[in-house]
Amino acid sequence: MDLIDRYLNAVAAQLPQDERADIVAELRDLILSRFEAREEELGRALTEDEQEAILHEIGHPLVVAARYRKGPDSLVGPELFPYWLFAVKAGLLLMLVIQAIVLFINLISGPADAGQSIAQAFHGFFGAGLALVGAATVAAAIFEHYGVRPKWLTNWRVKDLGAFELADPAAWGASVGGTPRVKLWIAPKVKVKAWPGGEYLFSFLATGLFVLWWIGVLHFPGLMHVDLRGTNADVTGAPIWTTLYGAILFYAVAQMAIDLASLARPYAVRMRAAAEAAISAVGLWLTYTIFEAGHWFTLNRDGETARIAGDWTMLDFDRLRGIGEGSTDLTGVASTLSLIMTWVLAIVAISLVFKIAANLWRLVQPEARPAA
Amino acid sequence: MRHTLCVTHYVTAGELMVVDPELFESMRLELRRGSLVLAVLARLREERYGYTLRQALASDGLEMEESTLYPLLRRLESQGLLTSEWREEEKRKKRFYRLSPMGEAMLSALTDEWRGISASLDRIL
Repeated sequence: MDLIDRYLNAVAAQLPQDERADIVAELRDLILSRFEAREEELGRALTEDEQEAILHEIGHPLVVAARYRKGPDSLVGPELFPYWLFAVKAGLLLMLVIQAIVLFINLISGPADAGQSIAQAFHGFFGAGLALVGAATVAAAIFEHYGVRPKWLTNWRVKDLGAFELADPAAWGASVGGTPRVKLWIAPKVKVKAWPGGEYLFSFLATGLFVLWWIGVLHFPGLMHVDLRGTNADVTGAPIWTTLYGAILFYAVAQMAIDLASLARPYAVRMRAAAEAAISAVGLWLTYTIFEAGHWFTLNRDGETARIAGDWTMLDFDRLRGIGEGSTDLTGVASTLSLIMTWVLAIVAISLVFKIAANLWRLVQPEARPAA
Repeated sequence: MRHTLCVTHYVTAGELMVVDPELFESMRLELRRGSLVLAVLARLREERYGYTLRQALASDGLEMEESTLYPLLRRLESQGLLTSEWREEEKRKKRFYRLSPMGEAMLSALTDEWRGISASLDRIL
C-alpha cells in the first residue's frame, strides 16, 4: 500500500459510506495532480518525503474529512452557546451552594475529620459538575444536529427572565438576602449528625422537582413542544405513561422518602441499602414495563406524526454507530430519538441491576459507624 | 499570492501604532471568507475541475486550501448552484464543475450585493 492509499484510507474511514467512493476519487485526483505538478517543477520523480510534505499541505485526514461533514461543525454552535453557558454556570453555582451548605453543616456538627468532609465536598462538586457539563453538551449536540429549538428558547417573555439571574451569585444575595428562609439556611437550629455527602439532599430536591412536575404543580413551558427546522412539533406521551402514572409517582415519592430518611440517619447503612434495593427493583420493573410497551412518545407536526418507539432489535451496536447518519425530517428525528430512548432504557436497567447488587452486598456487610 | 503581515506600523493621529499580526490574520480571514464563495461561483462560469480551479483562483490572488475548496464545491453542488460530471482527461478521471442556471442567477444576485457593500465601504473608508 503506498502513501496515497494509506492517506486516503484514513480519510475514507471518517466519511459517510454513500459519499465515500466519490470523495476519495476526487481527492486521489487532487493528490496526483499535485504530485505531477511538483515533479514537473523539479524535473524528476518525487521522493517519499516530498510526497509526504504535499499530503501534509493538503491536511490531516481527520481535518480533511471533517470539512465534508454536512452537520454542524461544533457540538455547541454560536446560537445555542449562550444557553449552554447559562445552564452550566447556573448549574455549577447551584451545586457549589449545595456542597457548601452540606460542608458547613458537616463542619459545625462536629465530624471527627474536617479534612475528609472538605475532600468529600470537592469530590461531590467536581463529579456532579463534570456530569452536568457532559449532559448539557450532549443535549446541545442533539439540538444542533437535528436543528431542534425548544419553545422556551424562542418564545420568551421579559417577565420570565428572572431565573436567568441565577448565573450571577451576587443576584442571589440581592433577591433572597435577609429573608427568614435564608437565615434558617445559614443558622440551622437542629443539630444533625455528620453527613456522608450531599447526594441525599441533591437527590431529594431533584426528585421533588420531578414529582411536582409529574402531578402538574410545576410547569415547564415548551417542554413538550419543539421547533424542528423552523416548524412547530409537539411531543405527546404514549398510553404507557398514563398506565404507569401511579406506579411512577409511588417510585419517585418512595425515593424521596429514602433520601429523607438518609438525611436524618445517614449512617443507617443497612436500612438504606434494604430500601434502595427494594425501590431499585421497582425501578427495574418500571423500566422493563416501559421498554416492553414499545411506544413511548409521538411527534406531531402539521398533521404528520412519527412514533418514538423501540424494541430489542434496536439494541444493536451497528445501529448505534450510525446514529448521526439519519435523515433530519420528522420520521428521521423520531427514528434517532427511538434509538436513543431504547439505549437509555437499557442503560438505566443495567445501572439498576448494579444498584440492586451493590445494595444487597451492603446488606450483608457489617454496619460501619463514624467514630464518636 | 499569500498575504503575510509581520509587523506593520501605521500612523494614526500622530501616534505610531503597531498592528498585531495574529489579530490582523484572523480578521483578514474573516473578511475574505464570504467573498470566496463569490469567487468560486464566478470562476465556474467556465467548466473546471478542482485542481485547475484552485490554480485559477491562486492566479487571481485568492489562495484557497484544498481542504476548504473541495468540500465547498460539493456543498454548492448539493445546493443546486453547480453541476458536475466525471470525465477522463490526461488518462485520469476528473470531476468537472460548472455553474448551473440557478448558480448563474445566484452569482448575479450576489454580485449586485457585493457591489453594493463595496460602494458603501468605499464611501465610509
